[in-house]
Amino acid sequence: MTEDLAFWLSYITNGKHLTWYASFQFTIYAALLGGALAVVFGLTGATLKNSRFFVLRLVGSTYSSIVRGVPDVLFFLFFPLAFEQGVEWLVSTQVCSPEAIAAQTAPWPPCREANWFLGTTEYLLLASVSLGLVYGAFATNVIHGAMRAVPAGQLEAARAYGMSAAQVLWRVHIRQMWVYALPGLSNVWMLIVKATSLLSLLQIADIVLWADRLGAPNFLPTVGLVHDDWRWRYYLVLFVFYILVTWLSERAFEYLMRRTGRGILSEVPA
Amino acid sequence: MDAFFNDLAVMAPAVVFNIYFAMASIPLGFVMAVFLALGKASSNPLINALSRGYIYAFRGSPLFIQFFMFYSLALSLNLTVWRPLGISGFVLHPLFMGPLVLVLNTAAYTAEIFYGALRAVPRGAVEAARAYGMSRSQQFRRVVWPNLIRLAWPAYTNEVVFLFHATAIVYFALPVVGPQADLMITAKTLFERDFNAFLHFSVAALYFLVVSLVVFFLFGLVYQRLMRHLPAQPGLHFAPKWFR
Repeated sequence: MTEDLAFWLSYITNGKHLTWYASFQFTIYAALLGGALAVVFGLTGATLKNSRFFVLRLVGSTYSSIVRGVPDVLFFLFFPLAFEQGVEWLVSTQVCSPEAIAAQTAPWPPCREANWFLGTTEYLLLASVSLGLVYGAFATNVIHGAMRAVPAGQLEAARAYGMSAAQVLWRVHIRQMWVYALPGLSNVWMLIVKATSLLSLLQIADIVLWADRLGAPNFLPTVGLVHDDWRWRYYLVLFVFYILVTWLSERAFEYLMRRTGRGILSEVPA
Repeated sequence: MDAFFNDLAVMAPAVVFNIYFAMASIPLGFVMAVFLALGKASSNPLINALSRGYIYAFRGSPLFIQFFMFYSLALSLNLTVWRPLGISGFVLHPLFMGPLVLVLNTAAYTAEIFYGALRAVPRGAVEAARAYGMSRSQQFRRVVWPNLIRLAWPAYTNEVVFLFHATAIVYFALPVVGPQADLMITAKTLFERDFNAFLHFSVAALYFLVVSLVVFFLFGLVYQRLMRHLPAQPGLHFAPKWFR
């Protein structure tokens, strides 16, 4: 019994497993950075949607409706690729000689010097930005709705105090908006957490990729424990992991809502 | 422009797979969701806990992981179960596994919508039905269900569109069999050939947008039909304010 326990303990703490545990950091970074960016893009989008100028309003609502109208995974793949190509094109206009362009046989990049190699860090950053862009469109709608939920009297009072439009926006409107936006933002956060499972599509060695590698059947005793296909067990662990994260986030948002709603919302969610 | 029309033509057969995945999983998911919602509202503690747990688990974890989990589970059962039964080619086929996991997933999301609508059914209507002496099944069929579906329909429309969008990741988790590629795989293959991200992904996005709009339109028609007893809502009118 103790020997079994020691054996399994050493199995789940071998080098490959430790790498798997370490790869949870990518998921967490992407979720946190993506969430923060989603709020930033959401605020920007909502401000555009509330703008005085028709063109800016059009930009805001086009952003939120187009991005919400296509699957998140499509944008998640497209944005990093497009960004990389954009940078490569920009670089190619500076560094490529006509001979180098003529010598290039592959369709992309324009010349070999313009090639931009993306490592894990770069892909992680780009993935976070595209998570922010995609879910910022959802946050735009949430925040736009929340801005309209702020009682008009509060804004009138602020104006009566002689605040300028910008002061009303920053000191009263956006401050009071959070309470109404939190339930919707909590939903957006849950979507972001679930979308972090897609990181492996951008060649990041994340938890999903490692679960696949660790669970793959092994028939060579020299490589490690001989076992057949155990992938479903590793995916089950991830399944439970994500459910736990959801549960924790729910508790955290409940606490936040109670805290920010003090004195504003009469009914406290139990 | 030629390349654009070429892409449109190349992706036309691909969108059929996305539509197939959605159409195959919507009806079953709908039925399963009704039972799950009733289970979540049930007073039987076992049924209640099971439905609640199921809905929570499938709403709280990514569809991508669910795909991998169920597919690898089916793979590991292959030698002991599917192969002896002679159905391994069928069970492990993405055209079966895809809708299976999508049904399990969408049932949970839809059940949550239906559960919310179930709780919003006016109490007075149910009490009146009881006062008329209706049995529980009569109450459900004549009073609760018609109210429920009307309340839930707009949210359910969104869920169907989300489900259609979710079909984009089916083939990232399951193997592509021969030429059976959906929109995302087709766009990715075309991209890997000439690295024109803007064209191929935009055309795929266009297909997704158009089908989403069609879904919104069709479900809107159903909603109008459901709401035909109420005075018509004023239609949308386009009157932009250029400056305010």
